[in-house]
Amino acid sequence: MSDFLQLGSPNERPRAPRLDELDLKFSDQALAELDELYSHYPDKKSCILPGLWIAQREYGGYLNGEAIAEVAYHLKRSYAEVEGVATFYSMYNTVHAVGKHMIEVCTCLSCQVCGAYPVAEYLKKKLGVGFGETTEDGVFTLHEVECLNACDRAPVLQVGSSYHGPVDEKSIDALLENLRAQEESTVIQMANDIVKVQTGPLKSK
Amino acid sequence: MAEYKLLLEHSDDTAYRTLDGYRKKGGYKALEKAVKMERQAIIDEVKASGLRGRGGAGFPTWIKWNGLPKEKVGKKHYVVCNADEGEPGTFKDKQLMEETPFLLVEGMTIAGFATQGDAGFIYIRGEFIDAAKALRAAIDEAYAAGLLGKNILGSGRDFDLYIHMGAGSYECGEESALMSSLMGERGMPRLKFPHAPLPTISGLWDSPTLINNVETYTCVPFIVNKGGEWYQTLGAATKNSRGTKIFSVSGHVNKPGNYEIEFGTTLNELLEMSGGMKGGKLKACVPGGSSVPIIDAEMCGRAVLGYEEMSDVKSMVGSGGCMFLNEHTCIVSFIWRTAMFYAQESCGKCTPCREGTKWMLQIMERIVAGNGQPGDKELLLEVCSQIDGRSFCGLGDAAAWPVAAAIRVFPEEFDYFIANGKSMVKSSKDLMLVP
Ligand code: FES
Repeated sequence: MSDFLQLGSPNERPRAPRLDELDLKFSDQALAELDELYSHYPDKKSCILPGLWIAQREYGGYLNGEAIAEVAYHLKRSYAEVEGVATFYSMYNTVHAVGKHMIEVCTCLSCQVCGAYPVAEYLKKKLGVGFGETTEDGVFTLHEVECLNACDRAPVLQVGSSYHGPVDEKSIDALLENLRAQEESTVIQMANDIVKVQTGPLKSK
Repeated sequence: MAEYKLLLEHSDDTAYRTLDGYRKKGGYKALEKAVKMERQAIIDEVKASGLRGRGGAGFPTWIKWNGLPKEKVGKKHYVVCNADEGEPGTFKDKQLMEETPFLLVEGMTIAGFATQGDAGFIYIRGEFIDAAKALRAAIDEAYAAGLLGKNILGSGRDFDLYIHMGAGSYECGEESALMSSLMGERGMPRLKFPHAPLPTISGLWDSPTLINNVETYTCVPFIVNKGGEWYQTLGAATKNSRGTKIFSVSGHVNKPGNYEIEFGTTLNELLEMSGGMKGGKLKACVPGGSSVPIIDAEMCGRAVLGYEEMSDVKSMVGSGGCMFLNEHTCIVSFIWRTAMFYAQESCGKCTPCREGTKWMLQIMERIVAGNGQPGDKELLLEVCSQIDGRSFCGLGDAAAWPVAAAIRVFPEEFDYFIANGKSMVKSSKDLMLVP
């Protein structure tokens, strides 16, 4: 049975914090970005997706209950509504916390026929984890993803904002080495990039 | 026919990604012209060009443009670009956004002028950060030069352009789901015409909304510049497909990449452009993205790339994601992965698609695991026929077609796999996740 059918088991769902437990964490920068976003749309509800991207950055790459609650609080929507949106989209990390770098290996059609599964196997062995799991040191999370739409470079990996392909065992070794040496989390970097391209230069600054 | 570079003519030129370089190559001539044109004249130009939607469905573009109210009734008008390229095998929009961002910005601005748009949204899939950055830079430059924002080119008309990033959902490529997602909801499709008004009457926030694909908008500056009459001479050999189309070629070819061709080019010529087959003879091709029916080598030999022409080989142009497969490819494993994709991406709104895609996947899973049962092939066809035409949006149909087509074109491979518990193609192990 495919494992994705079991996704979102009730025990793993982030709990909605009570109002008195709310501890708002958004930085001034984040609030300024939200302000800019409000001006793009006629209502605040439309800011749920961009708002969740901000939260994913502010909360270290993972949308836990507090993160979702904070988005709901700023946008004046219910927790359930925002949670419902967050869990629909695969790029919001709601199911479990992720490592510093997320390695997303495409095994979809073009990549499949260009040898993505052996690549995925190699990654699993090398990192000692399965799909959806994080290495013990918390550095890498491995994910299998659908077509990244860079099939001319199959087999393709995505790490943070960048694509890598075509990859083989050697280039993967080098890539992992580089990532290990990198201080910043590519997961947070990516969320930041996504926020930035939407807000553009902030008018208030 | 050889490659015909219209949209991609300057794609290697990095200067073309800046306003200056873009203008040197004739950029923004079209907008300058459009500013002086009547709104209807722009739409008529698009009509004369014969341009059809490049996202997959091939719907005549001008009908959408013409469908927005001619007189504003107190509501804003929106122009949306569907840049949620997710169809497996397609990567043309990505290249267009990364390398020719101004074409899209200019095309959307013209669309805004023609339809009295107040604001535009480019909905980009979350993974495409490089594309989004290129567009961001282009939009910022355009604002600074007075080509976006208030009183564009002194015309007295305003147009704002925003980027909205997706967050990982194939379903959002469907236009009504995309609009849901833009409005901050789960990316699920909405009721469609005739059961609900067309988006051109009531789309985003119940306002009239024009929604087109990236490639469609990028064609617009050329149409306005050189005229619809000129544009429709491209592809004149085909029944009803005009202009150029970018095909994203991937799979077992020597030079995978995007190739822009005139409609009427043959699939064989496209294969030649992309350097021919790698690692073995041609066995099959999925010509227009994972949703379209697969065809075998014989059909490839006579396939002509055009919306109507492709139906002669029972397939489609689709989004232009062309995957060539060589003789060592196990079609059953390939279809198993296709089924997995759709099961994964079904949004869960309607039962035929939500349950049907999972059923198909489970049957395919047991076949590739070597536990196929006699009658599985027929069972798959039965499930396909229950999904096709019965799902809420096109995703269900798109999930059923490739499976049904593969069984029709390569029945012996399915029979062999089911009867023997293994593939009749030697190298199929690599195509699967080794347990
Ligand atoms: S199939 Fe892997 S990028 Fe398209």
